[in-house]
Parts: sequence; structure tokens; C-alpha cells
Amino acid sequence: MKRIVIVGASLAGVTAADALRMQGHEGPITLLGEEPHAPYARPPLSKAVLAGREPPEAVMLPPLGDDVEVRVGARVAGLRLERRAVVLDGGEQVPFDGLVVATGARARSLARPGQRGEHLLRTLDDARALRDRLEGRPRVVVVGAGFLGMEVASTCRTLGLDVTVVDREPPLVRLLGDALARLVTAAAVDNGVRIEISRAGATLVGRDEIRGVELADGRVLDADLVVSAVGDLPNVEWLSGSGLAAAGGPLVVDRRCRVAPGVVAAGDVIAMRADDGTVGRTPHWASAVEQSHVAAAALLHGEAAAPLTPSPYFWTEQFGLEIKLCGRPPAAGSRPQVTDGSLAERRAVLQWIDDGRPVAAASVNHRMPVGKLKRLAAPAPAATAAIA
Amino acid sequence: MRVSVDWQRCEGHGMCANAAPELFALDDEGELRLLQDVVPEELSRRAETAVRMCPVAALGVER
Repeated sequence: MKRIVIVGASLAGVTAADALRMQGHEGPITLLGEEPHAPYARPPLSKAVLAGREPPEAVMLPPLGDDVEVRVGARVAGLRLERRAVVLDGGEQVPFDGLVVATGARARSLARPGQRGEHLLRTLDDARALRDRLEGRPRVVVVGAGFLGMEVASTCRTLGLDVTVVDREPPLVRLLGDALARLVTAAAVDNGVRIEISRAGATLVGRDEIRGVELADGRVLDADLVVSAVGDLPNVEWLSGSGLAAAGGPLVVDRRCRVAPGVVAAGDVIAMRADDGTVGRTPHWASAVEQSHVAAAALLHGEAAAPLTPSPYFWTEQFGLEIKLCGRPPAAGSRPQVTDGSLAERRAVLQWIDDGRPVAAASVNHRMPVGKLKRLAAPAPAATAAIA
Repeated sequence: MRVSVDWQRCEGHGMCANAAPELFALDDEGELRLLQDVVPEELSRRAETAVRMCPVAALGVER
């Protein structure tokens, strides 16, 4: 394999370039990024950058070596799979022998055509624009009570702003399980956030300029600033002519992150098909890193590359809580064991047991090396061997 | 090249130990150990890779 093109210049793309070099690829590597910026880290955007504690430049990743050609502001328009070329906006074709798809995802929007003023938070430019607006001390309504929405609300409260969060469901339950979600929600309320549950959804109000959010019961929450944090959409449209991804995505990969011969993918754009046939996304930092390593190995070595055994892991900081979670808490109703500290003190280590086996673990305001937390979340090695 | 760790920031994610096992390791408790802070030339890419993938930006390199 001679020339490798990586489409997408965020963490997954950069890590893929690093991994290809580390695994011995000596041919040219070109990294194409749509945004005008060099590769950067997104996690601080909703936290330190939005709060103004860190300048936007602080998120830039250390630059790649000069043995990787990085082209920013290069938006891909299509893939000519049979010609082994990526087509850029403007028609330029970039040929490849191997392709890494790392185009990520974009924020979903709720605004109707013609409505102005909705803020999203995905990119560095989004964060800058939102931070500038927060300086005017607006009343804020955040639609979406997932990690991003709650982190934005938390940052707004640290700035002393009036904040309401709206969602169809109580915050974070699907992501953190009942007990931990309740703890975060209580901390949010203690910090002065209003939470509105509107089971049938919410709509943005305003003929031209958005001025509030209407709940299903007809009430309108007036707002000077509306932030939508209602999930993301994998960026697969440019692949539509290639047959690799169905419209609306995501791009489904096998356990070696392969899509087609000579094509692999990693990061927020993908969903991985597990051995049991289920397909799932884990759009988090650690997943992007491990997927990129597997994708690089599979591109160079094919079947000889080790398949990925995902170890879902992510973290969030909000309302004075620093939470790290390994594994997936089981469905509603299952109570975690508190192995250290206490939920009442908001400082604890939690472990979820399902069917007699540990399936997830979390630390809350409790410094614990991530490796140790992962061991709490995983079945004992003997059990793992029995499954494999 | 020298590599440095901001120990206040490090949380033992261990991604650096995967990227550059010659430089970084996790001990039995899962805490990071810096094996050598002077980076031999042949390990410079691995060191820079480790810096890029650290989730808490706890690592740095200086030439």
C-alpha cells in the first residue's frame, strides 16, 4: 500500500496518521480537514474554552511531523471508489491506495428554514461564537440534556447566567443509569439550573430571530440565546455515491474498522458491528483513539490485524462533579454498589453488577486511575476467556 | 527531546503507555510512571504521538 489519504483532521484522523507511521507505513500520508483550523481537541470546547478559562488556541493538538501532509480547508465532496480517488469541493481529485474515513459528525439542528440565532456547539468556531454571545449575559435555554447540553448549562451557571435545560427525558438517565443521573440532576438544580421535561418534544419559537422554546404543553420559555444540544449526525453524505453508507449513516464497520477493500474508518462517523450483529456508536475520545489504531493496522495488515474489543470509556465535568464512566450501566432500575465514598457526599466509586458480573463502573469526584476503574467495570479475566 | 508530565493533570488514562511503552508505563495501581524523560531520536514520533492522544493534555515534549 503506497499512498494513504485520511479524510477528517480531528482526533481520529490525526491518531490514524500517527498509528500508520508507528506501524511501519512509509509511503505518503495526506490528511484532509474541512475546517480552516489545524487539528484540535473538542472536549474543552464546552468547558474551559466556553467559560473563558482557556484561550481557544489551547485546544490545538501538537502538530504532526512533516512526513504527513495536512491540508486544512479541504472539504470532500465525494468518493470515486472505482477510481481510488477522493473528490474535493471544486473538483480536484486526490488519489489514494488506502483510505481512512474519519469525517466525524456534525451537531443536529432544530431550527426551521429561515429561523436565525440557534447556537450549536461542535467546532472551535461554534465555541467562539457562543462564548462571544455569553458575554452579553443572555437568558439561556439549552435544548437537550445529554452530556453536551448539561456541560453547556454548567458553564453558563459558572458565568452567573440564567439557564433552563429542556429535554424529553430526565437528564442523562440513558447514559449514566438512574442513580448517577439523579445525582447529577440534583447538583444541576442546586447550582440554579431549571430543568423542564417535555415528553412530546420542544420547538424553537420565532418567525425570523429565535426568541424562545415552546414546550409540548404550550408554555413558551423566553430566551435571549437558545443552544441546541440534541445529538449529532455522522458526516457520510459525501459517500452517498459510493454505496458504502446508507443515507443518514452511520458508516458501519467490522471489528477491524474495515468498510471495503482498502477502506477503513474510525471516530464519530462509524458504528461498529459486534459479533452478535448489533451495531453501536461510541462517539468518545478514547474510542476514537482505539478505533484509529485498529483501522490503521487493518489497512496495512488486513485480517492479520487484531480486532477491536471496545472498552467504552468517557468522562464529563459539570456542576462541580467530575465523572468518569467505564462500560455501560444496565437499563433503568439497576442500582450500583457504592464501593467507596457515598452518593450523598457526591464523592464515590460505583460499580454496576448485572447477572452476577460487573458491567460498568464510575468514579465521582474521586481520583482513581482509569485502568483501575476499567478493571472494576470488566468481568474477571476467566469469565472473558470463557466468552471468547 | 525531553518529555514532561503534568502530574496534577494526569489521571492514568494510559494512552501514552500504549503509544510509547518505552517511555511510559502504568504501575500495578494504574498510576503513570515516566520511564525516561530524555527521548532518544528513534522514539521521538512515539513521544509526540503520546502527547497528541492524551485526553487531559498532561504531556509535553521539548526539543
